[in-house]
Amino acid sequence: MPAEQLPLPVGAAAEVGRLRLPSRIVPMEVSARDAPFDDPDYLFEPWWPGVRAIVMVERGRLQLQVSGLSDALAAFPELVELPAQLVEDGVVLDGTLLVLDDAGRPDAELLRRRLEGGGRRGRPAYVASDLLWAGGEPVTRRSFRIRRRWLEAVLEPGDRVTVGRAYVADGTLVAEALATLGIDGLSARQLTARHRSGPAGLAWFKAPIVPAEPRPRPTLALILRLPLGE
Amino acid sequence: MARAMWRGAIQFGLVTIPVKLYLATESTSIGFNLLHASCLNRIQMKVYCPFHDEVISRSDTVRGYEWSKGKYVVVSDEDIENVPLKTVRAIEIEAFVPAGREETGAQFVKSAYYLEPDEIGRKAFYLLKSVLAEANKTAICKIVLKDREQLAALNPYSKTMLLTTLHWPDEIRSLEELNLPEQEVEIKASERKMAEQLIASMDTDFNPAEHHDEYRQALMGVIEAKVAGEVPEPMQKVQPTKIGDLMAALEASVAAAREARRSAPTEPKQPAKPKAARAAKARKAVRSTKAQPAEAKPARRRKTA
Repeated sequence: MPAEQLPLPVGAAAEVGRLRLPSRIVPMEVSARDAPFDDPDYLFEPWWPGVRAIVMVERGRLQLQVSGLSDALAAFPELVELPAQLVEDGVVLDGTLLVLDDAGRPDAELLRRRLEGGGRRGRPAYVASDLLWAGGEPVTRRSFRIRRRWLEAVLEPGDRVTVGRAYVADGTLVAEALATLGIDGLSARQLTARHRSGPAGLAWFKAPIVPAEPRPRPTLALILRLPLGE
Repeated sequence: MARAMWRGAIQFGLVTIPVKLYLATESTSIGFNLLHASCLNRIQMKVYCPFHDEVISRSDTVRGYEWSKGKYVVVSDEDIENVPLKTVRAIEIEAFVPAGREETGAQFVKSAYYLEPDEIGRKAFYLLKSVLAEANKTAICKIVLKDREQLAALNPYSKTMLLTTLHWPDEIRSLEELNLPEQEVEIKASERKMAEQLIASMDTDFNPAEHHDEYRQALMGVIEAKVAGEVPEPMQKVQPTKIGDLMAALEASVAAAREARRSAPTEPKQPAKPKAARAAKARKAVRSTKAQPAEAKPARRRKTA
């Protein structure tokens, strides 16, 4: 059966004493690339201005792994409802933790204060990009193409947590759009690659985006001030 | 319905239509009283005369009009009653103008009132209403309300007509003091496209019931919690995080970038830098991969087991 049609690994390990999630995930480390590119083998998405966060949900209990934070959930208690958006248990997500300001923009200063343990200001949000475990089983050996599709099946979009929008092939086009939004990085993940802990090699690139002239922020402000429909 | 706040007649040529006026809106904002912080008793405002250095009674005051710096002329109640005005007890129609808010001055509205015709005026009232509606006109009129002659607009509204009081032209401030360089702003085609798409995505009919005064609700929640002796919850629940808005903004700007490429095709170049790439990708512009990652493009099929 072609890999694309593989069903979600629901329940196989669920009934039998399932594999326990590891207590810590060694994340994939992104490779650098000097400019955005086009490639039909890659999926492009914004390099969201936030911190990398691994979400682990086992028996409905959420753990948040953020580099350098011993108790990340204490800093982002709003995310405790995340498991309700998962259609499965035994799930590990890789993604980005953001703090949005009142206008819905990612705000680096609010994020910094949260990370330093000061205050509860801003609204935390989580954008998931990759799926590492589902149904209590590792899926890291699957291609990213499949992991990504499963990710969309496993995580229902909510107000705080969602699967990020991503686009196949048109990296430079996405980069142009991001430049107008004031986002300065592009993430590119190879659709055929499996997940690996440690250096990503060709599997995952980050490329810088030159901001659009004259300054990017006003456009982002304009867009986000318009109250978009759900 | 509540009590009429005004009785009079619409005057229009030789026609007189007796009507009552009712406030069409009510204020639902939360009122506060000022208390003395240390004892929590209501404070009183006293009228103080600095010349006599004493607190005086309000009945010992008169109205003064400052006609020159520091010089006042006293205007008594009697003077005010004697103001010669036609519009007392009348809604005097002065002109009919094309309906629509773009009419100069008609944007600056104050309050809205419902009209209710007296029995003998009903026929004329509804005749006027239907003609206004058919001709798509607004009647501009004057009325004395609360001791002031007011400019007002009369428009058909549901089963009645709505009288909207307007600001006088000399009450409307000039725009000159503001920094509004509309001509100097350059808008790129892609930006215009993006804004148009955002607007189109929210295009709907106005349904007032969908809009709520969330500040008032939140404030009332805080007050009720205090009355019940609870510590008010932090305000952060009033407006939910909407990560979807951010995704929609991303989607709109990608669509705009795609559209910009399609409409400005240039000869393809090597995509080295995003700046160079901006104009370069006309040949790829027709792809439609919007928001469907992985499955949209099985460019290189491979089994991963």
